[in-house]
Amino acid sequence: MSHPEMEAQVDAYLDGELAPADAAEVEAHLVECAACARFRTDRLALRSAIVAAAPRGEASAALRGTLGDAIRREAAPATRLRPASRSRWTWLAAAATVALVAMGSWRLGASRAAEGALADQVLASHVRSLMPGHLSDVVSSDQHTVKPWFDGRLDFSPPVHDFAGRGYPLLGGRMDYVGGRAVAALAYGRRKHVISVFLWPTPASGSAPQLMTRPAARQGYHLLHWTTPDFTYWVASDLGLAELNDFAGLLQSADSATGT
Amino acid sequence: MEPGDRARFEAIVLPHLDAACGLARCLMRNAADAEDVVQEAFLRALRHFDGFRGATASDGRAWVLTIVRNAAHTWQSRRGARGMTEFDETVHSVPVEPEALTTAARQDARETVSGALERLPQDLREVIVLREIEGLSYKEIGDVAGVPIGTVMSRLSRARRRLHDALVASGETR
Repeated sequence: MSHPEMEAQVDAYLDGELAPADAAEVEAHLVECAACARFRTDRLALRSAIVAAAPRGEASAALRGTLGDAIRREAAPATRLRPASRSRWTWLAAAATVALVAMGSWRLGASRAAEGALADQVLASHVRSLMPGHLSDVVSSDQHTVKPWFDGRLDFSPPVHDFAGRGYPLLGGRMDYVGGRAVAALAYGRRKHVISVFLWPTPASGSAPQLMTRPAARQGYHLLHWTTPDFTYWVASDLGLAELNDFAGLLQSADSATGT
Repeated sequence: MEPGDRARFEAIVLPHLDAACGLARCLMRNAADAEDVVQEAFLRALRHFDGFRGATASDGRAWVLTIVRNAAHTWQSRRGARGMTEFDETVHSVPVEPEALTTAARQDARETVSGALERLPQDLREVIVLREIEGLSYKEIGDVAGVPIGTVMSRLSRARRRLHDALVASGETR
């Protein structure tokens, strides 16, 4: 690895952006390489200088008061009023609307009903899969068995990962039908709990990739949903929310690591 | 707004008010404008909160900082402010003038970096502030600034090189 590349790695390491294996590699290199060790020292000095130099952000009492009033007004539907100072803000409000639309990364409500209907279907499919004999069409803990099984059955190739090492073994896969299309459903285990992962290609015309949406709780099950440029994900389980989020994190990092 | 939404707003968005002020202050270079931008951004966030599905404080932070950042950019472009053009190293790199160097040499590291931060083009300044001050991940910075992670990394690298060079030039390191 050339020196500039190594410096980029050290930066990523100091920014906490490296996977554990890569971080260990950088740490080993820093022990051996005086130039990189000096680079790290310089970077740490630079970081503390930046932190000291950047303007402090502290909201004034007036700003806090204005926002507090606005929150109370928004939270009182019967007397819902626009902020009194709104006219001052007309041009900026219009501009900020453009900014919000341009932002695009977060869906603004319009598709909420459609998403609710999808959530119902996902949950129904998950519950159905728990009935005896319905869990999987292909029963295997081997991702290299499950992934090819989908070939020819679906019009896309779903990413399949096993997380047995992290306590979420792959149990198998099956075809399902959600939201008007054939989707891949993967089953994972966690102690006595089953986790269903539903995924299908994100439509090219769809909205921008989406962060994790608010977890939904229905009938004692938790549902998580997120979208990447490639795939739309739904995860359903009766597992506790903390562990389910942990599992979702594994899926997301495996997904971004393989670039699918 | 539903009562639950108010609680959620107060739990995952409002705690980032100071962070938002810090970001706006770095972007606007003027305390009064910065506070105006933050106020407008938070009022927008409040009105559009029912469409936001984030559940955690870090979701809320990236979301509201995006609104603040865009409001700041919009404000500046309305005023035809500098620093809004796409950054081009060959066009925008300003060589450090000898006179500035002697001035810088008399300042301490903090003032040196503070000045260097202000001289950074907006697109470099916002990524370095989001990373070093707000502690956002590359992914979150990319979401806020609307650029891919690779661009975040190259901007961070350029920003650090410039700030480091400013520090070295002032004789504060090594």
